[in-house]
Amino acid sequence: MVLAAAYSQVSEAAVRTDSPMGRALRRLLRKRVAVACLAVILTFYTVGALAAWIAPYGYAEQNLDASFEGPSLHHPFGTDRNGRDTLSRTIFATRTTLVVTLATVATGSILLPLTLGMLAGYRRGPIDSVIMRVGEILASLPGLPMLVLISVALRPRFAGSATQEGWVEKFEDWIGWHGLTSSGFADYFIIFFVLSLFGWVGGARLIRTQVLTMRGSEHVLAAEACGAGTLRILFRHLLPNVMPLVIVGASASLGAIATSEIGLTFLGVGIQPPHPSFGALITDGASRTVLENHPQLLLVPAAVVATQIFAFNLLGDAVNDVLTPRAR
Amino acid sequence: MTDGLAAYIVRRLLFVPITLLIVSLATFYITRWGPGDPVSVYSGQFRDEEAFDRVRHQYGLDKPIIQQYGIWLRDVVTDGDFGVSFRYRDRDIPEVIGPRIWVSARLGLYAFIITFLVGIPTGIYAAVRQGTWLDPVIIGFFLLFQSIPVVVAVPMLVMLFAVWLDWVPPGGFDGLVSRSMLIPTLALSVPGIAGVARLARTATLSTLHDDFVRTARAKGLDEATVVFRHVARNSVVPLMTTVVGLSLVGLIEGALFTETLLGIPGIGSFIYEAVRSQDYNVVLAVVLLITVAFMVANLVVDVALIALDPRVRDSGSVR
Amino acid sequence: MSNRLTLAVLGVAAALILALAVVLIVVVAGGDGDKDTAGSGGAQTPSASEDGNGNGDSEAGAGELRLRGDDPLTLDPATAQDAGSAFYIVEIFSGLVRLDKDLQVQPDLAERWDISPDGKTYTFHLNPDATFHDGRLVTAEDVKYSFERALSGSTASIVAENFLGDIVGAKDVSRGRAEEVSGISIAGDTTIEITIDAPKPYFLYKLTYPTGFVVDRRQVEANPRRWTNKPNGTGPYKLKEWRLGEEIVLEAYDKHYLGAPKLKTVRLELSGGSALIEYEDGNLDLTGVGLDDLPRVQDPSDDLNAEYHQVPRQSIDYIGFNTTAPPFDDEKVRQAFALAVDRKKIAEVSLQGAIPTATGIIPPGVPGFTSDDKTYGFDPNRARELLAESSYAGDLPEITMAESGAGATVGPTTEAIVQFWREELGVEVNIQQAESGTFFSDIDQGRYQMFHIGWIMDYPDPEDVLDVLFYSTSKQNNTRYANAEIDAMLEAARVEQDSEARLATYQDVEKRLIESAVWIPMFFDVAHVLVKPYVQGFEFPPMVIERFRDVVVQR
Repeated sequence: MVLAAAYSQVSEAAVRTDSPMGRALRRLLRKRVAVACLAVILTFYTVGALAAWIAPYGYAEQNLDASFEGPSLHHPFGTDRNGRDTLSRTIFATRTTLVVTLATVATGSILLPLTLGMLAGYRRGPIDSVIMRVGEILASLPGLPMLVLISVALRPRFAGSATQEGWVEKFEDWIGWHGLTSSGFADYFIIFFVLSLFGWVGGARLIRTQVLTMRGSEHVLAAEACGAGTLRILFRHLLPNVMPLVIVGASASLGAIATSEIGLTFLGVGIQPPHPSFGALITDGASRTVLENHPQLLLVPAAVVATQIFAFNLLGDAVNDVLTPRAR
Repeated sequence: MTDGLAAYIVRRLLFVPITLLIVSLATFYITRWGPGDPVSVYSGQFRDEEAFDRVRHQYGLDKPIIQQYGIWLRDVVTDGDFGVSFRYRDRDIPEVIGPRIWVSARLGLYAFIITFLVGIPTGIYAAVRQGTWLDPVIIGFFLLFQSIPVVVAVPMLVMLFAVWLDWVPPGGFDGLVSRSMLIPTLALSVPGIAGVARLARTATLSTLHDDFVRTARAKGLDEATVVFRHVARNSVVPLMTTVVGLSLVGLIEGALFTETLLGIPGIGSFIYEAVRSQDYNVVLAVVLLITVAFMVANLVVDVALIALDPRVRDSGSVR
Repeated sequence: MSNRLTLAVLGVAAALILALAVVLIVVVAGGDGDKDTAGSGGAQTPSASEDGNGNGDSEAGAGELRLRGDDPLTLDPATAQDAGSAFYIVEIFSGLVRLDKDLQVQPDLAERWDISPDGKTYTFHLNPDATFHDGRLVTAEDVKYSFERALSGSTASIVAENFLGDIVGAKDVSRGRAEEVSGISIAGDTTIEITIDAPKPYFLYKLTYPTGFVVDRRQVEANPRRWTNKPNGTGPYKLKEWRLGEEIVLEAYDKHYLGAPKLKTVRLELSGGSALIEYEDGNLDLTGVGLDDLPRVQDPSDDLNAEYHQVPRQSIDYIGFNTTAPPFDDEKVRQAFALAVDRKKIAEVSLQGAIPTATGIIPPGVPGFTSDDKTYGFDPNRARELLAESSYAGDLPEITMAESGAGATVGPTTEAIVQFWREELGVEVNIQQAESGTFFSDIDQGRYQMFHIGWIMDYPDPEDVLDVLFYSTSKQNNTRYANAEIDAMLEAARVEQDSEARLATYQDVEKRLIESAVWIPMFFDVAHVLVKPYVQGFEFPPMVIERFRDVVVQR
């Protein structure tokens, strides 16, 4: 409620200026912390995107003669039990973070909340009730156990098995292009599907409240009086005013999404081996042998994870500051 | 006004059984929808599909899911019987869950205490230091810790306290009052500190500039009285309730990882094991339990916010 | 400024005081809470382990053995099917016959038995002194009841038919067609006659499994769901206490028909900190050693080295091929895959030499085992040749290997194995992890091309692995291997009364299976344990058999 009140002020501010987003961006770029975070995130994303070209070794490439080697020129961060290069595995894990965060933000933090929130707020009535009740139920569920539960139930259906086609394979047959399964697409998809399923509720609520307020404004009433259609009102008049909310929500969710992916993978329901993920690196790094004798195997991925998520969170804060005047 | 609040609470409470019904049905479906089943899990390397089918029939697992749900619901409502745990076949489910809740609740309480013990003074201090370099640095410092996922934090804490400093055992559970509680308590409390500190900071800042505080100062009350009588009451109390409610979610998720990683027999590691071993009825019981806890916490927080926040209270607009 | 400083200091102080008060309340209130839960759990005895770091451990007198354990899935012998449950059941209950430490069948409740010349009818004569823990004599009626209860549909035992199904009429009971097993007849208070459907030399072995153990009818019928919380068994130990997740205490039954056990009490901690540390602190008398601690206890200069033992276990880790699924329906592909893996290297590096590579299919300790290596060695050149000669040369389908498991990483060995295929054969093999339930049922249905799995012997006879897993129509034939010749040999071995000829047949089967590369036998299993020197007579049987009775603990 307090938050909603805060967000309603955003829109007033937004309405008054001709280009609220442009001004917000300029304000954001004036913040040194925000710029630094953006730089860090972009760096990681670039490294992740170019992983296949940058990494000196493949993520699964092993050398049993080089088990548990310390840092050296060939392996700057050493190797693990099976002689795999820690640096390369960290770089490829960054790629996983990139894919999962972007895909989940696009669906769970932008598309779903925007569509459902605007729909609920503008159409009201039964649609509103259904969306909001479903949201309330999702919000009252214990998230993590449910995520694990759903992943366990969904995975075989998505990924299929050797002699039984999963949804992904059927989809491949349908589009006539194969390669999704072997790329581990099913794993990524399950992750961002389950995260999106639970992630849209908060954003949708705020957007709905915002749209409800806007709905009665002279601005919208005038447009309706001029005979503007539903879609036109939604896109031309309401969308620009809820965008700040969406951006605040999306940037705030980045860190949580990355964290969830690591957690789910750690629990064995996320990215499947041998595909790389920080969850897998941390699991390997948490064994006693490693803790006692090869600390870099834990510390390197841990430091990267902490830096990434710290940057995500700081950026989220900065965006929130810029777009939410009250918190400034 | 009070009528409005009472009606609001009643309305929320009415929603509880409906939510539970929907949640239980959904969970029931998801658990039984998954591939495999407890009979298959617990028979291990012994494979005999015909024998499995006979046992499934005995447990009613061959019936349509909706019918199974009906039977389950009837047993829960009439006898308080949550069904058979396949993993602890000789015990009733509440008997199995009880001690584990106790462990997790105690652990959570320790974590809460640490969180507030560090978070509130830090927040107040940061607020007082607003405008200096200390303010953002303090908050940033704790934000960094908040950014480390529990899964990552626990092994690092083990490395620090068990391997390097050798203060505590590297895992396991020696009872609730023992050195082995250090790592889980830290892992659960540290991520929350930043949140509490920032809320405490914001609350202190806003109340410090509020009218009634200015009035109090103007009346000549000394600073300490102002802080305790007014600032603390008007900022810390609602803050506590909010944070307690909100952190419950984080605690349960944190507990799942911490307990699993360290081998602590709490409800977090328990539900994870139950999900993995497809112990349907146990999963269902625990999910419902946590749902109830969430809903109660949310209700308490919302009511507290309404009752304590003069702005909300006076405007009379309860949704 | 100074105002603000005062304010800050006061704020911090206030918060600290508040927090301290809360801590005090919690600690005080919490102390009471502990007792409450213990009470509601149904177990009343307060224990030294309750609140701390083992005061009270020094009180433990001679005659008590302390070790780590796990909660059993069940203590009902009829439904138990896992080693964890059987561990307790063999101490608390007993059956007609048991295995001794050399895995020979020995009299138990039955003091002797006669076998009819056709090998089909067994007449068991019960020990006249055999009693339940409450003092009641064990009669032939109790044995009959226990068998029929185990088989009955309402008991919902998965394994009953497997272990008792050889008895004439047993399946009629398990399929609900009859109430009584026609092949069991009572020939007096302490004499019982059991007829089986064919002369099967391994029948007595099957009776050593908990399924056929004797339970107290009155107790079971009085409280069908909860009687196992305080079972009235016939074994050498009584269940004195079982606090879920905390502790199980077994106490000697002094009036046991085979004599009072030498060891008075067995205390099993079900949770706790690092077992090795507790062992070093003297809170445990024996413990297993994990991979991480292995280098330390194996170091001859370490104090613990003198107390370290390796115990072979009767199980084998293997990669199974689905011999009906492409490309593994071609023997040459299977052989190529077997030849391309350097198992010795994997054992040495990925497993730190903790367990040995398998020399065949029959694990050590099982009759028929030989220590000479019968498996394919590491020969990448030959492997590539075979692959090139195979019908899938240059045209391999996508291959996935399944493994049971949960977690972000598969076992280090699986990743290493897959990497060998990638490097030596140029074949990319996907790994698919599955929940154990899904994994096993998908294997049953032939859904995987290949799988990494283990097999633990249920009884020490090669039949338990070769016949059970490779006979073409066996329910557990997970490789779908069908070979009429092998089937004929297995059938002959089942009824062969000459044990040498029988073993020779099994060894021949083993050899052929390995040659055809139906499996890649990977590793045998070894347990690494530490035992205090003052514990005498404790042995580590390779199978679950009762083990505490003759232990002497003299601190």
